Amino acid sequence: MRTIETDVLVIGTGFGAAAPALRLAAAGLCVVMVEKGPRIGVADFRQTQHPAYLLKYLKGLSGDGLSLTFAEALGGASGFYEMVSLRAPARAFAQRDDHGRPLWPVGLDRPALDPYYDRAEQMLEVEQVAPEDVPKSGLVFSLLMKNLGYSCDRARYAVRNCRGSGFCVTGCVFGAKRSLHLNYLPQAEAAGATIACGLEALSVEPTGDLPRTAAVTRVAALPRRWAVVCRHTAGGAYQRYLARLVVLAGGTVGTARLLLASRPYLSRLSPQVGRNIAFNGSVKVLGLLPPHFPAGDMFAGRSHPGMISYEFLASLGFTVFAVKPLPLQVVASARLRLDGDPREPAWWGEAHVDLMKRLRHRVIVLGTLGLTPPAARLTLDGSGNVALTLERLPALEQHYRTARRTVESILERNGCRLVHPEFIDHGGMPRGEPFYSSAHPVGSCRMGDAPDRAVSDAHGEVYGCPGLYVSDGSAIPTSLAVNTSLTILANAERIAAGILKRYGLREQSAA
Amino acid sequence: MSRVPVSPPVAVLLSRREAVRRLAVALVGAGAAACAPVRIALKAYPAEFSTDSGMVERTLRAFVLTVVPGADPEDPGPTRVFAERFHPFGPHRGFFAADLCRRTRQRFGEGRFDRLPAAERTWVVRRGLRQRGVVGRMYAGAVLLAQIAVYARIYDDARGSSLIDFDGGGHLPTPAGLTYPDAGRFLARPLTATGNPA
Repeated sequence: MRTIETDVLVIGTGFGAAAPALRLAAAGLCVVMVEKGPRIGVADFRQTQHPAYLLKYLKGLSGDGLSLTFAEALGGASGFYEMVSLRAPARAFAQRDDHGRPLWPVGLDRPALDPYYDRAEQMLEVEQVAPEDVPKSGLVFSLLMKNLGYSCDRARYAVRNCRGSGFCVTGCVFGAKRSLHLNYLPQAEAAGATIACGLEALSVEPTGDLPRTAAVTRVAALPRRWAVVCRHTAGGAYQRYLARLVVLAGGTVGTARLLLASRPYLSRLSPQVGRNIAFNGSVKVLGLLPPHFPAGDMFAGRSHPGMISYEFLASLGFTVFAVKPLPLQVVASARLRLDGDPREPAWWGEAHVDLMKRLRHRVIVLGTLGLTPPAARLTLDGSGNVALTLERLPALEQHYRTARRTVESILERNGCRLVHPEFIDHGGMPRGEPFYSSAHPVGSCRMGDAPDRAVSDAHGEVYGCPGLYVSDGSAIPTSLAVNTSLTILANAERIAAGILKRYGLREQSAA
Repeated sequence: MSRVPVSPPVAVLLSRREAVRRLAVALVGAGAAACAPVRIALKAYPAEFSTDSGMVERTLRAFVLTVVPGADPEDPGPTRVFAERFHPFGPHRGFFAADLCRRTRQRFGEGRFDRLPAAERTWVVRRGLRQRGVVGRMYAGAVLLAQIAVYARIYDDARGSSLIDFDGGGHLPTPAGLTYPDAGRFLARPLTATGNPA
């Protein structure tokens, strides 16, 4: 097995990985990034819905009542995401557990994270969408809210010069989305970081006895106390890295899986690994616009069509927005039934075709993201397979009913007919209700102030494992009620800054 | 416009015996074996469906037109989807075609599903979907694949699906198609100055 020595090994190349890699490389450290997925860039993206293309990069993990989607490719989810870039509301940081204890580390709140949000926004070129760039479906959503006296805000995106093709989720072929391939990753490489793709990290283990805490020192004086065994996804050859510092940023699923697999080597690892997954409790509701209403356009314009409402955030704990799924996403996720249409079958045949013909201009899809409690868990079986389980907490069930009824009411009071979705699995079979699907899982290795309740401390360092950091979505302790990427990136910037400070480092190259 | 290379179809259909074996294993795994003995499955899978690919093709094409009335009957794409590797349906498509024809014969005395009128084809598919266990799942998977192939037009990305007015890839909306010129008429009162929640 080949062995490579480095100062820092960053596992992953997504939102949680990019900032530490860039900042530590810019400080003069030898940085290696390993990515399980393939090396891709803007030139590799395609405007297609062929599942074979999407399944190369997008992976899923399903459990009873919950399905998680995540990306495995260079840049992580940034290539396949709408790049909605919103700061988490202050109330997200104030969430507490059942015993009234704060879920976020003390002192880590919105004001504390704002400087890092600033930095992340600058890197991604985030801006609020202009009114004239809001697609029709976003405007129609806003009008639905306006008619009822509700507020609605123009959202913020890391997107420049959007062409409106509507294929955001298959990768932007125009490079309008400021995915990590266009900023952090090339800058990290320019600063000296190397990126190895097609390499899956299998285990993290110390090369010797671990001290309880690492004395503050120079990185160069640290022993290479961490060994990470990786396997090439093509060919299966093994490779070992020896690193002074390891940053785990393979995503909420990937990082938890790696730490669970490494538990035999990490005797002090928190029992909380894999637990406490929060996922923004998304609810999706569909409606058919009344004849007098202006038309939307499901297929033109950015996939997240420009608008978000914070109207119910303070009172009910969720945000509302419009969704523009591609045809594949519609038929592969749910059986649809138009309220009041007595025809059978409803979800295929004539009735379904009639509904699908109205999908483009007359159907509106609304979604919610909520401050729902951590309720899911990942476990690893003896064969290394990950299983996902959801605890149907009363608060989660209550949230689902409230959010769905609230959004249905918005549609009904505007004269819309409801379209009932029955969510299906990959084989086309109905799932039970309530069913959540989420691309926003967080918290499987959460930060916290106490090792019995968290995996890593406020600085991202894994309890009992000096020099081992977690900087991705798995560290985020709670749902955010908005898209998670900017918060993950900002927190990763914060953790990177903490590492620099701890070891007396400064960025040398311009980043 | 670059295209996604299409996965090569599964080279051959499963043999009748292999398909029945797999079905039996699956039924046992699903705990539904008692009501579906293998000998019934053997009768349901005449040998011609292993040897006559034209029979399978015709039956699957009729199935697609039943699930998505109005789909282009000349489009070869939708029947290709049943052999795709992204879904485990592929090896069972011969068995599935045979099952459609078996139900057709049982109900209508005619062994060709593709010769039935639309209403009767719909009846056959509904009966298949009502089956429990593996057979019902097979029908559900087939409906899903047919809808994916037609609505998402996965074999002709640039052409899209005229049935639902989907332009496909490589088409950009005009400014007038993208938004309304009087956006202010639609915009509700904002709660924030920047778009970020407080």
